[in-house]
Amino acid sequence: MAAAENHGPKNIVIWAYLVILALVSVFVSLIIPSPADTVVIFALAIAKAALVLMYFMHLRVENIFIHSLFFVPLALVVVMFFGFMPDINHWLY
Amino acid sequence: MSVESTASTDTMEAGVPAAKLGVWWFIASEIMVFGGVLASFILLRLTGPGWAGDIEHNSVLLGSINTLVLLTSSFSIVEVLAANKAGDLEKFKKYMGITIALGLLFMVIKGVEYSIHIHEGLLPDKSLFWAFYFGMTGLHGLHVLAGIVANISLLVVVSKPGGLARYGHRSEMCGLYWHFVDVVWIFLFPLLYLG
Repeated sequence: MAAAENHGPKNIVIWAYLVILALVSVFVSLIIPSPADTVVIFALAIAKAALVLMYFMHLRVENIFIHSLFFVPLALVVVMFFGFMPDINHWLY
Repeated sequence: MSVESTASTDTMEAGVPAAKLGVWWFIASEIMVFGGVLASFILLRLTGPGWAGDIEHNSVLLGSINTLVLLTSSFSIVEVLAANKAGDLEKFKKYMGITIALGLLFMVIKGVEYSIHIHEGLLPDKSLFWAFYFGMTGLHGLHVLAGIVANISLLVVVSKPGGLARYGHRSEMCGLYWHFVDVVWIFLFPLLYLG
């Protein structure tokens, strides 16, 4: 895995991408009216998190055990979120 | 070699060192904790017209600075891992020192924000938004504090003679935890400051 970690962009490049995405998030929140900006800002947050997970936490080169420890709880959170959605719809309409 | 260091570097049947597997198990539980809280916040946000009036009290400038601080600390702790692999003690100490300093800066800025909110009477019982705000940022702040303590502990033991060779591998575990804390803030920032 160590060899695989050394491939790809350098850490400073990933950091630069993260800073740019963070600044774009703030810029978007200032120029795009709400709630349309929320979707864009959240998509940018997912992109930033993916960069940290894939390159700084090396998730892209980990094995299936580590992938399971990340993706299974994440999937459960998503299931919980959509599981509660009907209640929210009841409140909304 | 001590029993402790053997246990933390032994590779399990999963093909991963025991300590690293343990940290990932811990992160898995943390995903459930923070994921549940974030999902609850978003679901409740969807039920009404939004909390724009409350969010306006949060300083986008201070939140943005704190975001840049944590992102930069994520970079510096990756350099700590690189220093360990290179066996470079000076680089290790330099970047770990930067990471700790940035963590402390984050807490100071958060403290300034808290004092402003408290002075304005914006306490957890003010509204659902402020209950979530203090709950989520407080829980996250405790994690940052724990990360700072772990990083200081590692810096102390690594600075001892032979410390890098014996304890340097723990930088990967500290790094994984620190990055996860950063990922949580990546989602808290837009929800609490930009949403």
